[in-house]
Amino acid sequence: MSPHTRAVENWTLQPLTDFVREASARLVLVLTPSGQVLAQSGFSRAVDVMSAAALASAIVAATSELARQLRQPPFAALSHQGPHTGFFLATFVADRGTLAVLAVYDLDVSSLGLVQLFYEQLAADLKAASPKGAVPKQVLAADFERELTDSLNTLFGR
Amino acid sequence: MADDIRALSAQLAQDPQSLVFLRLGEALRRKGQLEAALRVAMNGLERHPHLADAHDLYARILTDKHNYERAFDEWDMAVRIAPHHTGALKGLAFLYFKVGDIEQAEAHLAAAKRVAPDDPSIDQAIAMMRKGVGPPSPTPSPAPEPATTAASSTAAVSSSGFDEARVFAGLEGANEGLLLVDGAGRVLGGALRDASGADVTDSVAAYLAGVSQEAARTAKLLGLGAWNGLSAEGQHGNVHLAHPTPEALLLVVRERGMPLGRLAILAQRATIMAQRWLERQ
Amino acid sequence: MSKALDMITRVRGVRGAMLVSAEDGLVVAEQLMEGIKGGAVAALAASLAGRLRRAMDAAGTGTSVFWHLQAEQGALLVVPGGEAAGSLLVVSVTEPDVNIGLVRLELLRVAETAV
Repeated sequence: MSPHTRAVENWTLQPLTDFVREASARLVLVLTPSGQVLAQSGFSRAVDVMSAAALASAIVAATSELARQLRQPPFAALSHQGPHTGFFLATFVADRGTLAVLAVYDLDVSSLGLVQLFYEQLAADLKAASPKGAVPKQVLAADFERELTDSLNTLFGR
Repeated sequence: MADDIRALSAQLAQDPQSLVFLRLGEALRRKGQLEAALRVAMNGLERHPHLADAHDLYARILTDKHNYERAFDEWDMAVRIAPHHTGALKGLAFLYFKVGDIEQAEAHLAAAKRVAPDDPSIDQAIAMMRKGVGPPSPTPSPAPEPATTAASSTAAVSSSGFDEARVFAGLEGANEGLLLVDGAGRVLGGALRDASGADVTDSVAAYLAGVSQEAARTAKLLGLGAWNGLSAEGQHGNVHLAHPTPEALLLVVRERGMPLGRLAILAQRATIMAQRWLERQ
Repeated sequence: MSKALDMITRVRGVRGAMLVSAEDGLVVAEQLMEGIKGGAVAALAASLAGRLRRAMDAAGTGTSVFWHLQAEQGALLVVPGGEAAGSLLVVSVTEPDVNIGLVRLELLRVAETAV
């Protein structure tokens, strides 16, 4: 297991570790569309996880709404590539509910093709490992602060 | 001798298809005019590609030029065409001895003796080899290697196994175009130089582990089974990557002119040497 | 584009031919037999091409003009299209006993004409 890969929900750990190794991704988040992080790899600061999760969640919400207005099914994945770095964001449905994966990769060690290829495997592995019959837990506003702190503590091994 | 060469040249000029090129090439070789001998042998080979004697002549000249790897190919070809060609069998024995493969050297001399039991030079070669001196080169080179070199090499083999510098001994370009590395990219033997002569051994070794991992993954995920070689033609040179053992990688780099098929054969030979060396470690 | 790939796939033993974006590892055009995953071929061929390029640069042999991965049950043959071709790779997946020389020629021809 990579020392930089940690999970709040343990069933996500192995699939994520495999994905990071195979796709040579630099940063990865597995999260719910509401921004709750299940696992992370490569992040060194809690504040970065928080902002990346919030932004990814916002993008998922915005593109889902765009698709809805266009009367299209939700977008499966989107990617953006700069001169040195690319990011990939995709959602899939597992027993745990809809999950999103955000992957950031460096173009000198990986590519969109590789990330897409191994994302398919990640999604399949997460679907297979997802707890069966689990009802997505509603995070109430009152509990949000505590849940977030607990998650971040777990994600950074505190 | 000069008169002989002149007369043979005139004969060949008169009848370019004749086999007189064999005598002319040998006369030039003995006189140390290796470039001229090489041209004569190559022209002869173009006209008589299936003549074992022509390959034998070419191999002897190449041996004089210390191009052992190509000489091996030529003698190998001669034996394929004429399995009882004693000259080629003796030549192969000499080259096997040079790389420390005494067993193969003896086997080839024994095969030569079965074909020509009365040839005293074969007995002499066998006797010399058993003494650890090594059979005489089938080509009395203009600048022959002292017998002590072969003897000391043999001693090194028997006392401490192959030393690192001898992993690819006997192969053409052993010190500049062959590289053996472990799975972590650490150099085990050989060396690489780029066109300007700069030593690029370490930097290439560092990249090879990544190439190998990717080759293995690609072959596996595409359902092609285990990979056994990667050849590439570059603008300035060709390369072949093989893995003599699951943990080791072997890279052969040659000039652009060497076809990939030939490069693969050379790599195969180097792979066998590397395997033997690794087994002895 | 498809006609160009035909030139490669008509060689006996070729199971598929593709044009691949070298930078992204994505499929640009493909003509594949059933069972061959174009996305995987594209991603992996581009990744291997990148690693091989770096090793060859270090060795001083220059950019590769053709490469060939031999495996027990098949082979991957690739001709990089070069800068002018917008960094495309012409890729073919073959049986192990294919005529490598012939496939190489067809790949080079496609790289010159179609790319």
